[in-house]
Amino acid sequence: MKKIITNNILVNNKYSKYYEVEYFDIDYIEVLKKVRDCIHMGHKLLSHPLSGSVKPNETPYKSVIISKEKEELDINSLMVIEESIQTADKFINKIGRVNFKDKVDEDFQIVDLSLIDGCFK
Amino acid sequence: MRLELGNILIKDIQFGKGTKIVDGVLYVNKEELTNLLLEDENIVDVSIEMARPGESIRITPVKDVIEPRVKVEGPGSIFPGVLSKVETVGTGRTHVLKGAAVVTTGKIVAFQEGIVDMTGPGADYTPFSKLNNVVISCDVKEGLKQHEHEKTLRMVGLKSSKYLGEVGRNVEPDEVNTYETLPLIKSIEKYPELPKVAYVQMLQSQGLMHDTYIYGVDAKKTLSTLINPTEIMDGAIISGNCVSACDKNTTYHHLNNPVIHDLFEKHGKEINFVGMIITNENVYLADKERSSNWTAKLAEYLGVDGVIISQEGFGNPDTDLIMNCKKIEEKGIDTVIITDEYAGRDGGSQSLADADPKADAVVTGGNANEVIKLPPMNKIIGDISVVDKIAGGFDGSLEDDGSIVVEIQAITGATNELGFNELTAKGF
Repeated sequence: MKKIITNNILVNNKYSKYYEVEYFDIDYIEVLKKVRDCIHMGHKLLSHPLSGSVKPNETPYKSVIISKEKEELDINSLMVIEESIQTADKFINKIGRVNFKDKVDEDFQIVDLSLIDGCFK
Repeated sequence: MRLELGNILIKDIQFGKGTKIVDGVLYVNKEELTNLLLEDENIVDVSIEMARPGESIRITPVKDVIEPRVKVEGPGSIFPGVLSKVETVGTGRTHVLKGAAVVTTGKIVAFQEGIVDMTGPGADYTPFSKLNNVVISCDVKEGLKQHEHEKTLRMVGLKSSKYLGEVGRNVEPDEVNTYETLPLIKSIEKYPELPKVAYVQMLQSQGLMHDTYIYGVDAKKTLSTLINPTEIMDGAIISGNCVSACDKNTTYHHLNNPVIHDLFEKHGKEINFVGMIITNENVYLADKERSSNWTAKLAEYLGVDGVIISQEGFGNPDTDLIMNCKKIEEKGIDTVIITDEYAGRDGGSQSLADADPKADAVVTGGNANEVIKLPPMNKIIGDISVVDKIAGGFDGSLEDDGSIVVEIQAITGATNELGFNELTAKGF
């Protein structure tokens, strides 16, 4: 079974009826850190944390799918999430966040939702 | 499978009463093309403009670039499975309007990407500044959803390109090049002394604005498979990818894939280019495992000594790239990977989101985070107000005089991972 960690309300609205969704009102990188914590508790990473070519310093939204079940620590998942956190940190803290205005927010939510939709089709 | 590509060299483009080619000049009947595009009920207005090399024009946001082609001999038609029947293409003869292109522009979502400058320092970073471009902007009906909007613009580009390509049908090409792939066993027998090489092309396939289509099929729903390089020259692969301007493959890139062209160039001399594998880049990790398993399996089945792998996009495709590289290397096959870098504005950060010691032969398309100042242009086609919402741009990117400061990732094709550009890094 699958579980979704997200800060995107559209993902929460669409998938919480069918799957366990943990929705948080937090930053992009904080979502990745929540996922890392779950992996340490034995959940397995199912979708790539850096899904999409919209860069981590451009979009505020991120959704990641992990296993609902907990098993032994999956080293591969841990490697991928740690590398993803490092990459996101490079974009957000070294290069700098891009502040978009207007109705961009909703569009970023739709793109993030579409990346997750691709995993459930 | 043998294909002749006849290049009709286009030196200039002009509007004219009829769409035709006369002495290397492509004349475009604006009204006829506009009416063709307005047949789509999602489109309410069409604007067609010309942008030629050296003109003070900035096109943004660029969605796709397509080279007009027409199939004159052999089965099928251009863009099979999309604009024509799902007939296998790649044999016979195809005419190319070399030097001309269709460029589509338009806002699908509020954040944007893709700049093509026809002159100035930005022009050096994009191959499309050297082409005679027919630029098409469309307004779509109110309330059209993002997915539909993307598809509408995608079809505008393909239809326009097919319409223009058609005028090359009865024109004698200036040059004809022949490309041929033999059945595997015959190919191996023909050059037994040369190292056997295959090409693995990775295709972006993640979701809205991150998609690629093969004979009309969404690449995310495919398994890694074999394809003849000449099928791609006839439009078997098209781009629905409008994120990551610098390192996405436009349809133009697919039609003119330089890895394929270079492999054909070396074929029979330095290497034996025996075939090609295409594979996707999905979001789901199990898909990545499955696709890279299949890629490695097919490479092993072909019995090749070496493989060239090209990536598309940034971030999670780095994982697909490394999986493909590692698993193919584990079969005892040498690999060279082609990628680009996001190494920070000073170039000092880790370039890729994944790595492996087996990835020890790397060609780079350049660092997408490098910053460039683009001076103002006399004319803007598209919408300049989006520049501070462009990938690689930032709040304040657009200065009062119309100049813009952006990372080169905002420029269409700047760090292309097929190597269709000027940037790279060399070791000395």
